[in-house]
Amino acid sequence: MIQYILFALATGLLFHGIHRKLIARIQGRPGPPVWQEILHTLKFSFKQTWIPDTASEVHFVGVVLISIAIWILALGVVIYEGSVLLLFAIYLLHKIVEHGMGLSSGSPYAKFGAIRSVISAASELPLFVTILLIYYFTGSLMLSDIIQWQASNGPLIIPAFPAAVAMYLIILSKMHFGPFSIIEGKEIVSGNRTEHFGVWRAGLEAGFAIKTYVLLNAFVLIFLGSFSLPVLVLIMAVILMTLSFVCAYCPLLGPYDTVTVQSLVTGVLLAYIIILEVVL
Amino acid sequence: MFDLPIEGPALFSIPFGDIVDYASPYTLILFLFAALFTALAILSRPEQHADIIFGEDGVYTGRIPGPENRFQRFMAIACGLAAMGATVSGDIFNFCIFTSMVGLTCIGIVASSGNRHVLNAAFEYGIVTMIAMIPLFGGAAIVAATTGTLSIWELAGGAIAVPFVAKAFLVLGVMGEGMAPFYVAKAEITRAQGAPYILMIHVSSLLIFLRIIEIIITI
Repeated sequence: MIQYILFALATGLLFHGIHRKLIARIQGRPGPPVWQEILHTLKFSFKQTWIPDTASEVHFVGVVLISIAIWILALGVVIYEGSVLLLFAIYLLHKIVEHGMGLSSGSPYAKFGAIRSVISAASELPLFVTILLIYYFTGSLMLSDIIQWQASNGPLIIPAFPAAVAMYLIILSKMHFGPFSIIEGKEIVSGNRTEHFGVWRAGLEAGFAIKTYVLLNAFVLIFLGSFSLPVLVLIMAVILMTLSFVCAYCPLLGPYDTVTVQSLVTGVLLAYIIILEVVL
Repeated sequence: MFDLPIEGPALFSIPFGDIVDYASPYTLILFLFAALFTALAILSRPEQHADIIFGEDGVYTGRIPGPENRFQRFMAIACGLAAMGATVSGDIFNFCIFTSMVGLTCIGIVASSGNRHVLNAAFEYGIVTMIAMIPLFGGAAIVAATTGTLSIWELAGGAIAVPFVAKAFLVLGVMGEGMAPFYVAKAEITRAQGAPYILMIHVSSLLIFLRIIEIIITI
């Protein structure tokens, strides 16, 4: 398991670096080297670390540890092909981490980020109907069963294309510099991450890197099927690049616009389910 | 014991007649998460609230007064306990009761705040919560009326058909307790001081939402 965690961490950080590089190149900037996020995390690990005087200390540190713990748990779910429901629960619990990060420091900028994280919880709606649609087609929410179903019926992305789009949107809403990244908008400094520096920031970067790896891996497993590791990573990288293009071209949406987009996607998915259930 | 391909096998169960409280890997993780944040609310001191003084180059910080702090902590712990109950309950009516308790305690957490915006938001949230209790308990009533039981254990796997409208009412009721798109007032009440306690508002609503998803797919 340790080697999986280290691999996911390194790959996730590399993906973040590729993401930054691609966005920069699309926007006509040279951008940082692709391994910059790995260097960043190493650098933060050895920098001076402090807890702000105004912070709730236990809470300030606790959310960092919880962030790492829940995404390692999610990685375990993906590796051992556990329940998708559990995976999505962890995705929603990550919202608590974002919220806690913002509230714990006492900084007004971080608090704005935290309040926005509550608003961005609208992404739970497309997630909810995605789960329903996966269950509708495969009759199971266990990853092992979903992979088996695809082995005999073909990729799930074909019959459940709207669900794949919704999950793509869910991953997009968690990408840095994306149209839904309202919690870390520059108008509120770095949002909920404003006060987390040094080892705490390194811990958060590590947790977020594993998160990116897990979400992309889960997308491939759920909608395309099982592949050998090199092919899996290649497909994940291609999906990441498409996400980077979206992030590079789409401006940051307003908080309530993000809710509107996510609610509309939910509406379309619900309509699709009703058509499947009633009409077909 | 049931082993549905939704959340994995039941790890253990405690029967009370036909009501069987149980834990699966899924519900156990939700329970542990609620317990963890309840422990954080017990152990953490609140942050010092910093506010920007608009038009001037400065900020001011404030501490929560002792009595207010104790009341917030008490309500946050009560909220955590209600969330824990909701995550492991094997009975739909008990789940609804715990969900309602979450709604009430969430208002209690911010009730002692002196901020007018927070109190207004809490008032609006309270109204939405109370209205949402109608479809919530209505859903439970329809389940009881059509199937003769409220036990999730008995209803699991579609052994007894549960009407779609009952499931829809249950989801609607939980959404009213603070999920999108009814959560606008809830976002506003998180402006109140006391991070470890305010966080419990968000934790509890996400946990009950995750539990209701599991319940409606299971039954």
